[in-house]
Amino acid sequence: MTTLDSLLRDKVLLLDGGMGTQIFARKPTVEDYGGAALEGCVDLLTERRPQWIREIHESYFNAGADAVETNTFGANPVVLGDFGLSAKAYDLNVQAAAIAKEVARSYDRPRFVIGSVGPGSKLITLGHVSYAELLASYRVQMDGLLEGGADAILIETCQDLGQIKVAVRAAREAMAARQRKVPLWVQATVETTGTLLVGSDVLAVLTSVEPLGIDVLGLNCGTGPDEMHAHLQALKESSPFFISCLPNAGLPENRGGQVVYPLEPAGFAPKVLHAASEFGIAILGGCCGTTPEHIRALAQGVEQLNPPKRTPRLERSAASLYQSVALKQEPPPLIVGERTNANGSKKFRDLLATEDWDGMISIAKEQQREGAHLLDLCVAYVGRDEVRDADELLSRLISQITLPLMIDSTEFPVIEKALQRAPGKCVINSINFEDGDAKARAILDLCKTYGAAVVALTIDERGMAKSREQKLEVARRLYALAVGEYGLDPGDLIIDPLTFTLGSGDEEFRKSAIETLEALKLIKAELPGVMTILGVSNVSFGLNPASRHVLNALMLYHGVKHGLDMAIFNASKVIPVAKIDPEDRKIVEDLLFDRRSEGYDPLKSLMARFSMRKAAVADDHRADLPVLERLHRGILDGEKQAILADVDEALKDHDPLLLINEVLLGAMKVVGERFGAGEMQLPFVLESAEAMKAAIKRIEPHLPKESNYQKGRILLATVKGDVHDIGKNLVDIILSNNGFEVKNLGIKQPIESILKELEAWPADAVGLSGLLVKSTVIMKENLHFMEELGLKVPVILGGAALTRDYVEGDCRRSYSGAVFYAEDAFEGLRQMQALVGGGTGVPAPVTAASAAGEIKILRRGEAAVPLTAQGQSSWVRHDALPPTPPFWGVRELSDSPSDLFEHLDEFALIRNRWGFSQGSQSDEAFAAVLKEKAEPQLAQWKGRLAGDPIFQPKARYGYFPVRAEGDSLRVFDPADHAKTLALLTFPRQTSSRRLCLSDFFSADQTDVLALQLVTLGQAAADHAARLYAEDGYGDYFAFHGLATELTEAYAERLHARIRRELSIQGKDLPGRALFAQGYQGSRYSYGYPACPDLEGNGPILELLQGSAIGVHLSESHQMDPEYTTSALVAWHPQARYFSV
Amino acid sequence: MNVKVHFRLEDLLVEAPAGTSLQRIADAAGADITFGCRTGSCGTCRVRVVEGLHHCSDPSPEERDFLQGLDAPAEERLACQVCVHGDVAIEYLGL
Repeated sequence: MTTLDSLLRDKVLLLDGGMGTQIFARKPTVEDYGGAALEGCVDLLTERRPQWIREIHESYFNAGADAVETNTFGANPVVLGDFGLSAKAYDLNVQAAAIAKEVARSYDRPRFVIGSVGPGSKLITLGHVSYAELLASYRVQMDGLLEGGADAILIETCQDLGQIKVAVRAAREAMAARQRKVPLWVQATVETTGTLLVGSDVLAVLTSVEPLGIDVLGLNCGTGPDEMHAHLQALKESSPFFISCLPNAGLPENRGGQVVYPLEPAGFAPKVLHAASEFGIAILGGCCGTTPEHIRALAQGVEQLNPPKRTPRLERSAASLYQSVALKQEPPPLIVGERTNANGSKKFRDLLATEDWDGMISIAKEQQREGAHLLDLCVAYVGRDEVRDADELLSRLISQITLPLMIDSTEFPVIEKALQRAPGKCVINSINFEDGDAKARAILDLCKTYGAAVVALTIDERGMAKSREQKLEVARRLYALAVGEYGLDPGDLIIDPLTFTLGSGDEEFRKSAIETLEALKLIKAELPGVMTILGVSNVSFGLNPASRHVLNALMLYHGVKHGLDMAIFNASKVIPVAKIDPEDRKIVEDLLFDRRSEGYDPLKSLMARFSMRKAAVADDHRADLPVLERLHRGILDGEKQAILADVDEALKDHDPLLLINEVLLGAMKVVGERFGAGEMQLPFVLESAEAMKAAIKRIEPHLPKESNYQKGRILLATVKGDVHDIGKNLVDIILSNNGFEVKNLGIKQPIESILKELEAWPADAVGLSGLLVKSTVIMKENLHFMEELGLKVPVILGGAALTRDYVEGDCRRSYSGAVFYAEDAFEGLRQMQALVGGGTGVPAPVTAASAAGEIKILRRGEAAVPLTAQGQSSWVRHDALPPTPPFWGVRELSDSPSDLFEHLDEFALIRNRWGFSQGSQSDEAFAAVLKEKAEPQLAQWKGRLAGDPIFQPKARYGYFPVRAEGDSLRVFDPADHAKTLALLTFPRQTSSRRLCLSDFFSADQTDVLALQLVTLGQAAADHAARLYAEDGYGDYFAFHGLATELTEAYAERLHARIRRELSIQGKDLPGRALFAQGYQGSRYSYGYPACPDLEGNGPILELLQGSAIGVHLSESHQMDPEYTTSALVAWHPQARYFSV
Repeated sequence: MNVKVHFRLEDLLVEAPAGTSLQRIADAAGADITFGCRTGSCGTCRVRVVEGLHHCSDPSPEERDFLQGLDAPAEERLACQVCVHGDVAIEYLGL
């Protein structure tokens, strides 16, 4: 016999369309309803006008439906109660199912009847109806439908997560009582807002109903088919159940006071059929506004459907009213907030005593803000009614908190009440075998009934398990009961192998952390799929707060390494292990792993070491900290707004100079150390600098007139011929916010101007910066010049193309004053501090080379590849004919900023320009930084800039006939190939392949040279300058990096166009590889290794008439405005980057 | 201890103290390797280690992430990121 289940496996099942639409088309009168008071009670028409209902079912079956839904949408005592008809509920359901069955049986192929159960008129989550009343009401309806012969129960048009769970329970209990099991279907209604009426998203629904064991989870009503796509996609990816889709005939429109559903059958069917193939849907049909004609249209396409096989992956999760939260967080662990607990938090307990529900909810919200993923909730308080307190608190809390709940109670009635109140999927905390398994069984029953996960402690009749073996043994028993016997998903069993304090020094517990950690490993290995949890802070019970933070953090760290998935922890106190002082860490780890030795007890060392120390990390209430500590933290956290109030407060009774010198500069020193240790990213450093700047500005008016807090002076400049600003500006930011007076002369500074300035403004050092290879040569020439003038002022050099060897070798030899290399701004700061401290600069870190010996060339192969008769490298072959360009001459383009984002090298932007580097962070921690800081920052900029007039990308490019002549390229007039426009000369390598750029062009025939010029426009350069002038360091730095990479992206985009136009795009590599010269040919810019001389920009601008797009050449041969770049494009397959 | 680095394409053989960075060696010996950003994020200095891969320092996270993005085989490295602890032979891939 064909069953509904077997049919579902074989084909896409077609359901009917709207019932109400068909009934109202018959224009029911007061007479039809049986009285004015009953008008609108559609469910009653089953009894009063059974023939209508029969006809409607027939019309849908005739249209091709495999199944129809009974006319019982509101046929339950709660809804019928509004008409005084509660008592009729059972009979109406029996009758409606029986009518539909009767019609179904009149067809020769299998037709089915689906018992429709609507959402009712009262929302349980908002407290309109009690759990018990709603459950009893649905039970009556389910009993009636089953009695009448329904082939499946469909809980549909669900708007309230809480209601779904009640109705499912009622259906299960009715089936159990009648010993008749039919498929159980659930359909939620996602509004145009993207959530159910009460705010739940579709994954919250899935997570909450999944443990209840249903057969179908789909969508109906709310919207038309198109609006359902995102939610269907979520179900496609995650739901283990069949998916159904019964949309309305589009979004309703109001036409002359009439609600009209706009999709006609011919428009509706293709959309629904498309969704079926796209999302692997098993059941199709229609809802409001759909008719037998809509179903007929679907029937014509449904046979041909072959929806893709889905491989859904459901992460084990908990859910609140609003959202689903995966129990396995990436990076681990999931943090369970521990402060909404009357046993653990005095504050929470006091609020409970005075029944300050809002105060308790504030604590919950605070934890949510601090990054907790789940909330542990415990209202146990001796002398109070715990069930009532749970009910009161939850009824208020569930709609205000987006985190799922962990119900923490030992009392069965409390747990059950909480599960009835909380609409999503909760975690119960906890079960154990202390008094045998009876209580555990009762709570596991609750898990099954309400769909909850459970924490299970490794405690049995013998007491708390202390050894790893005993912990594992109890865990096995817990698994056998919960998973084996009760059928819980292993991922819903969360084993807690117990944490004991190491603070007592009790010999019995000295190895307790090791046992717990090893037990985690054993449990994860032996019981696949189970989750683990620890009440981490128990480990430090009895110690002082400062040492507790460190011990807790390291217990958490090692726990995760041993397989810990979840931790009950104060989210604000999670300190990254990288920030722990190494000596602290050693002692704490010695304590954790019981590494005592003769005369050394890590516990005693820890207590001694921390006896005077205050807790250094985030405390619950920042306002409670002493003001100086708040200032320190304000700098570290880069809180440029919040710090001002603290500055004002501190100024009341602290010396302003002391504030700067001791507190603020002290904090900046920590920032520098953390940056140096790779624990703090550059963008965060800039935030700290912004806070510093804001604080100093606030303090300055209070400084005594003659006082000078500044430690020394430095004159900064980017050298002649170089426009690169950013590195120098970073140095300015770091130095000036670390107590130095900085005069920043800007870019393209000839040494004469720098020295003239120095005369007027004597400084302790001169800092020279430059990015170009050529700048390294200029720096050396500058030093020569200074030497000739007999100057001795120390010089600090920095820039991308410099190396320590070059500075400490070549540059030092050129100048008898002190010369230092600064790898980054902080090394520059250290040099300055040493200089004004009377030293001569910090010694550079001793490299292995200088310690152990020198680099020696043992053999250099024969230089060389000989040159050809025409004076070109013979390594380059000219076998292929030059491509033919689509036109000769120059063209202009303008693009939208969003076009450039397509070509943006995000890796280079985030890592290189924005300075996010992994340093000493773990992969997980760094991935989190990228995900939480870098990527949102990029998304934000994209949003801000796309279409913003700040960027006005313009480009000119063209194709020129050329011929190589030795080290030169002769460029001919595109209009007259005999007329020379320019002769471009390039340097040649002196050894090895002896390459020169001209070698990639033919000397024997006319070849094609592509030239390109792109600019983001003057407004972008102005914007950067404005950000810098306004001390928006972080924004300036981020904007500059982004604009620079977007300029590159534009160059890449144009280069890609040129490759296409020359038909050499066949070798373009996909993805990131493209940015690493993953294409045929090469793009050379002046100022880079193959053609370092910027003078070459002149002829390029002339050939391309750059002034047409506002690009001009500065006297130092740089292009103006900033964010402009030009290039020569060679098509030759051997053309690659090289250095001369 | 000294190690030998052989730049294959130009047959340049250099001796340097163990642990020296390849970038430093290439700069000092004038090897034909073009460096771009020198921070492991532009890929200009990509080389193939044809002998002695196990004598090269492990990739930094930056280098690893960069090369993963390119699907590069294990023997391809960024010269600016590698330190050599034993004899190696390399070929520059830029050309």
